[in-house]
Amino acid sequence: MTPVHFTFSSAFMLGLTGLTFHRTHLLSALLCLEGMMLSLFVALSLWALQLSSISFSASPLLLLAFSACEASAGLALLVATARTHGSDRMQSLNLLQC
Amino acid sequence: MLKILLPTLMLIPTAWLVPGKWLWPTTLLHSLIIALISLTWLTNLSEVGWSSLGSYLATDALSTPLLVLTCWLLPLMLLASQNHTASEPINRQRMYVTLLTSLQFFLILAFGATEVIMFYVMFEATLIPTLILITRWGNQAERLNAGTYFLFYTLAGSLPLLVALLLLQNNAGSLSLLTLAYSPPMQLTTYGDKLWWAACLLAFLVKMPLYGVHLWLPKAHVEAPVAGSMILAAVLLKLGGYGMMRMLTILEPLTKELSYPFIIFALWGVLMTGSICLRQTDLKSLIAYSSVSHMGLVVGGILIQTPWGFSGALILMIAHGLTSSALFCLANTNYERTHSRTMVLARGLQMVLPLMTAWWFIASLANLALPPLPNLMGELMIIVSLFNWSWWTLALTGAGTLITAGYSLYMFLMTQRGQLPTHITALEPSHSREHLLMALHLLPLILLVLKPELIWGWTA
Amino acid sequence: MSPFILATLLFALGLGTMITFASSHWLLAWMGLEINTLAILPLMAQHHHPRAIEATTKYFIAQATAAAMLLFASATNAWLTGQWDIQLMTHPLPVTLITLALALKMGLAPMHSWLPEVIQGVDFTTGLVLSTWQKLAPFVLLLQLQPTNSTLLLALGTASTLVGGWGGLNQTQLRKILAYSSIAHLGWMTIVLQFSPSLALLTLIVYFTMTFSAFLMFKLNNSTNLNSLAISWTKAPVATALAPLVLLSLGGLPPLTGFMSKWLILQELTKQDLMPLATLLALSALLSLYFYLRLAYSLTLTVSPNTLIGTTPWRHPTSHLTLLLSTSTVATVFLLPITPAIVTLFSLLGT
Repeated sequence: MTPVHFTFSSAFMLGLTGLTFHRTHLLSALLCLEGMMLSLFVALSLWALQLSSISFSASPLLLLAFSACEASAGLALLVATARTHGSDRMQSLNLLQC
Repeated sequence: MLKILLPTLMLIPTAWLVPGKWLWPTTLLHSLIIALISLTWLTNLSEVGWSSLGSYLATDALSTPLLVLTCWLLPLMLLASQNHTASEPINRQRMYVTLLTSLQFFLILAFGATEVIMFYVMFEATLIPTLILITRWGNQAERLNAGTYFLFYTLAGSLPLLVALLLLQNNAGSLSLLTLAYSPPMQLTTYGDKLWWAACLLAFLVKMPLYGVHLWLPKAHVEAPVAGSMILAAVLLKLGGYGMMRMLTILEPLTKELSYPFIIFALWGVLMTGSICLRQTDLKSLIAYSSVSHMGLVVGGILIQTPWGFSGALILMIAHGLTSSALFCLANTNYERTHSRTMVLARGLQMVLPLMTAWWFIASLANLALPPLPNLMGELMIIVSLFNWSWWTLALTGAGTLITAGYSLYMFLMTQRGQLPTHITALEPSHSREHLLMALHLLPLILLVLKPELIWGWTA
Repeated sequence: MSPFILATLLFALGLGTMITFASSHWLLAWMGLEINTLAILPLMAQHHHPRAIEATTKYFIAQATAAAMLLFASATNAWLTGQWDIQLMTHPLPVTLITLALALKMGLAPMHSWLPEVIQGVDFTTGLVLSTWQKLAPFVLLLQLQPTNSTLLLALGTASTLVGGWGGLNQTQLRKILAYSSIAHLGWMTIVLQFSPSLALLTLIVYFTMTFSAFLMFKLNNSTNLNSLAISWTKAPVATALAPLVLLSLGGLPPLTGFMSKWLILQELTKQDLMPLATLLALSALLSLYFYLRLAYSLTLTVSPNTLIGTTPWRHPTSHLTLLLSTSTVATVFLLPITPAIVTLFSLLGT
């Protein structure tokens, strides 16, 4: 395992751990997701740099575009949740449990 | 085979297309014709092997009596159900006939199948019509509980059977009943093989039912409408015995050691369920427990695996099918008049329904195995073959026969003799439909006295 | 929702799945999954009420996490083996991670807990899309992985069938029951996936047919919980009469279509010498059967007391299209006799 690999893996795992265990605000979940995507961006761009091939250099940008879409969808849902549930606390998302 | 199967299938469109007022006469006549045609299967019995052989279906000496019994039961069920479905909308009556017909269709396929998996599929397929019959046309709210018990007892027993059969298919390469008996005996030594043996028989022992896994049966009988009780007692229980006889030829080397506890348990069950009958207050429940008791004897006869054991089991199955079905019909005639299954509330019926008492008398005597009837022949053959195996079984079987006589007498005296209670003086007289029904049950039984080789299976 | 937007979203929904089908590169497969997720989100949230929003949010978080994990695992694979190709996965670590990510995406136990809540929050049509079409893309990816993780798949599958049966026992909400049924069926597919991919595909299609029929039937009756089922015979008498057969087919009783997949899977498992697992699976089907049976009881096999006026809505012409329902119901009930033809068809597809 190279240092670069270790770095982005631990960044991703940190994001995943945060998403899994820190469940107070929806916003923090979205931030953790964004952190995971950014670590993946680092992974992909470093992979492209290391290979120094043209054909792969578009992939980090594609990833960034999709993660931006995903983040905006998440923020839209954050707004929608705030409007229907009154807050963005994860605990208030309990209408469907039983 | 198809000359019976196709008319049976065509009974479904008949039931939906005939005018409402002709529904019951037409279907009754149609099914009676099918039953009469099915009697032609019996003529092939002089040959030992298979007859009416097609690519998937065939009859042999073991399955023919059961097939004919199946076909015979449909007109009787239609006769018996006319009264209590008369108040339903016509479409529901048609649906009822459709259900009974589909049940007969699946049963014919089950008994006629020459492939074990096909037998298994059809064995399971009979569950759905029976379940709907119990839970949709039963009377009390407990019928849902009874339906659940029925379904889950049977399935919990038969799903291991499916795995065991698939395993056999992988090892033997074929599951055809035509060739399976000639396949070389398997080397069954390990612990897993013993589990496989148990899985092969468990489904049938639950279906029979063996004492201990019999709890679903009285519930199902009590809650089912009369046609459900009839088909359940007469044919569905026999699927278990039939399946066991078919499977035992395959399970050969292990059966000798492993079947002992089951034989003892079955005979113990004869005593136990007989004793339960002696203190039963519910008429249908009494008949249901008496079925369990008789089936215990059948299990003993099959597991002992002698020719006499098999013949006795088959004879007892057929005779018990007709007898217990007749008893359920009689119980239903009482139920339709008094609206209660409790025996104390409907005593002394000889005073109001004298001719019915004659039928009760014959049916009770058949149930306790009076000498010339096939019931006695079956019981005697089973008892003799068990006695040949071990003298000690005579204590169990002898006490079992005694108790059977006891509760049959108890049932007859309780319902027919004595003072008529004051609250049931204004009863409807018995219909000729009901007399016809009883005659069609009991005449074949009496006629079988004259030609028992029709139903004694392989021992020709 | 404007029809143009709806058309765009449905197109994107199909496009995402198709991209995933067609891709051999993990990045492209991931992009397909993302397009798919982004397209279904507005469809789920189109009715602006709290339960739909909550379901959408939960779905979004689960799917986004799964997709991120998928991409992370494939990036790890690239760093470890220098390979982005889907079919050339050799290292066990990324394969395990990807399997888990796809299990989260499909809702296999123990990553299943989002699925019942999400399905409960959306309407029947979207729920149907969620439990059928949305399973396809992850399922196909799982199908393409090399079977280096047999124990993991077996464990996921067994856990799913058990959890699917167990979880549904306590439910009174139809959509949750259907979600648990979906979990249980996916468990059966996951178990047989590594032994016979064509059989897994067959099971998936059979499951689609059956669940299609069940969802449409509940949609026709407009009933979302167990209590409101009792009056469904007044709305659609014939469909109600057939409903127990559909439900028991989902439960896998012979001679209905649902038995076909269970039978073939058990056969495959006995061929692989996995008898204890086969027996366990067969008995776990009984758990699911119990709640299907309870649905059948309240739907058809008991009749609730009704006023005279309440018994006649079936006389009014319905605006629902019932052609699909009748076709899928017939397929759900009667396909078992042509099992050999169907098996041959799918084994041809598999090659």
